Amino acid sequence: MTKAWIEDFKRAIFIAEKDVKIYFLKGPNLIFGLLLPVSLFLSFSIGRAVDISFATPGLVAIAAFFGAGAIQAIALPLERRTGTFNLLLTAPISLFAIVLGKALAGFIYGVILSLAYTAIMIPFAPLPNLPLFLLGILFSSFTFSAFGLLLSAPFRDIPQAMPPATVVRIAMIFISGVFIPLAAMPTFLQVVAYAMPLTYSVDLLRQAMGGLVNVQMLLVDLAAQVLFSVVFLAITVQVLKKNIE
Amino acid sequence: METAITVQGLTKRYPNVLAVDHISFEILKGEFFGFLGPNGAGKTTTINMLTGITKATEGKASILNHNLATEPVEAKEHIGVVPDTSNLYDEMTAWGNIIFCAKLHGVPKERREKRAKELLETVNLYDRRSDRVGTFSRGMKKRLMIAAALVHEPEILFMDEPTTGLDVQSAREIRGLIRELNRMGTTVFLTTHYLEEADVCCQRVAIIANGKIIAMDTPEKLKLGTQAQQAIEVSFDPAVNLDNLRGLSHVKDVVVAGDKFRLYVDDSSEALPFIFDFAKQNQLKIVSISTLKPTLEDAFVKLTGLRPELMTIEKEQMKPNEVKAND
Ligand SMILES: Nc1ncnc2c1ncn2[C@@H]1O[C@H](COP(=O)(O)OP(=O)(O)O)[C@@H](O)[C@H]1O
Ligand SMILES: [Mg+2]
Repeated sequence: MTKAWIEDFKRAIFIAEKDVKIYFLKGPNLIFGLLLPVSLFLSFSIGRAVDISFATPGLVAIAAFFGAGAIQAIALPLERRTGTFNLLLTAPISLFAIVLGKALAGFIYGVILSLAYTAIMIPFAPLPNLPLFLLGILFSSFTFSAFGLLLSAPFRDIPQAMPPATVVRIAMIFISGVFIPLAAMPTFLQVVAYAMPLTYSVDLLRQAMGGLVNVQMLLVDLAAQVLFSVVFLAITVQVLKKNIE
Repeated sequence: METAITVQGLTKRYPNVLAVDHISFEILKGEFFGFLGPNGAGKTTTINMLTGITKATEGKASILNHNLATEPVEAKEHIGVVPDTSNLYDEMTAWGNIIFCAKLHGVPKERREKRAKELLETVNLYDRRSDRVGTFSRGMKKRLMIAAALVHEPEILFMDEPTTGLDVQSAREIRGLIRELNRMGTTVFLTTHYLEEADVCCQRVAIIANGKIIAMDTPEKLKLGTQAQQAIEVSFDPAVNLDNLRGLSHVKDVVVAGDKFRLYVDDSSEALPFIFDFAKQNQLKIVSISTLKPTLEDAFVKLTGLRPELMTIEKEQMKPNEVKAND
């Protein structure tokens, strides 16, 4: 039993490895992932006095968010359109392992992009708690990857999958405390913000950045992201299952 | 003999169409089983249900006693699948695709490369192993799909119209390869809309139309079962009148077929002497004479009521010495 489980997990890793190779190392995707957070940030901060240590966590979170997510809008729908998804479906792997493999691929891409941003920002903003910051990057990347997967699961091709994913992502950025602190937002938006995974990611990174750690909030941030990930993956499996019926 | 595939009342209902309608059959280990039917008959839907690409609406299917609904992973350990459209990654090389398939099927690391080399050599693609699959021709892709499907040495091979749309040479090579695999013990489930392919390759054929299996037997028995008569085609010099032939003993009907006459008989060997006598008595020279047996096409037409043209008969794909009874 455990052996079957391990074998299933191994195959999920192979799927992730294949996805990283095929989709993720395609230049345009990488550049798009890198540029979008920068341009969003610039368009928002022009004409304002920007506090780098406030902006950095948000930027890194967005990098993870777009890095992990944007690619999911491409990888799964493309696989379904071209018929390669059938190769996965006819292979001896559980549907969950297929979904996990895809999620891991997005995770790797999210980690790479957010680390790249962290490296760029470090000279300008001190990072008192680097290990916690890295932990935040890992958690955020996985959650966003699972989220991106969920957004693309209902679609069989890229043109259908792209617009909703982009709209949802950009909307989320504006109400998750990336640019505007939550406290400065109206109450009802704060409530919405707490239903967004990005909010917990930004909070976690900001705590690592500020040096002052609120352990209780930290645990909430971690738990929320684990919960979001599990729920996103489970729904994705269900959506795909429905789709092959 | 043990059964490889068991199907009971398998049904697939799409919102607007009953694609597969309560079909049942058993396929034995080592058998070469053909699923013959025109476009839209439900062949692909059936294969998809048997390989995990789609779920059945009703009914049960199992692979080597593993129910596909309850033990899908165990069932899929034993199958190789060559779908009708490519399932390989265009962005990856031929080699990369085969290795990935091997990994997906849990082929141990030390076996993967050896197996990939063997298979690529078998399908004549070893020289092209480093090329991206996107650059391959249709026939090359199909051969690579077969190699990929065989990487874990499956006991059962599913192939959905593997020769459709290929040139004569590629089709012949692929047919040869499948038959060789079957000789070595692989159970083959093949769908086709080529009558001759089913006839030449398959030990048993199910004829499917509108989602239903309407006949299932060996090709020879299907032909006999139609009770299509045997026929003799003959031409005389000088030409004779049709009515003169009608009265011949053992001849049930006569039609004109081009410059020849086609005489329908129950048994050619009984009728032939009377034809020779007729020629002698009337001082006619027999320019040509040949006997025609019922074909799978006759059986198909009789069973389905469909016109044989629906089956896009590609005679040129097959052995040239096969004679057709119908026009
Ligand atoms: N995904 C689908 N949704 C709706 N109808 C489908 C779908 N797939 C196949 N069909 C229908 O089911 C019937 C059988 O199709 P198919 O199995 O592809 O036939 P074949 O492979 O024998 O040509 C056809 O009428 C086809 O239009
Ligand atoms: Mg088909």
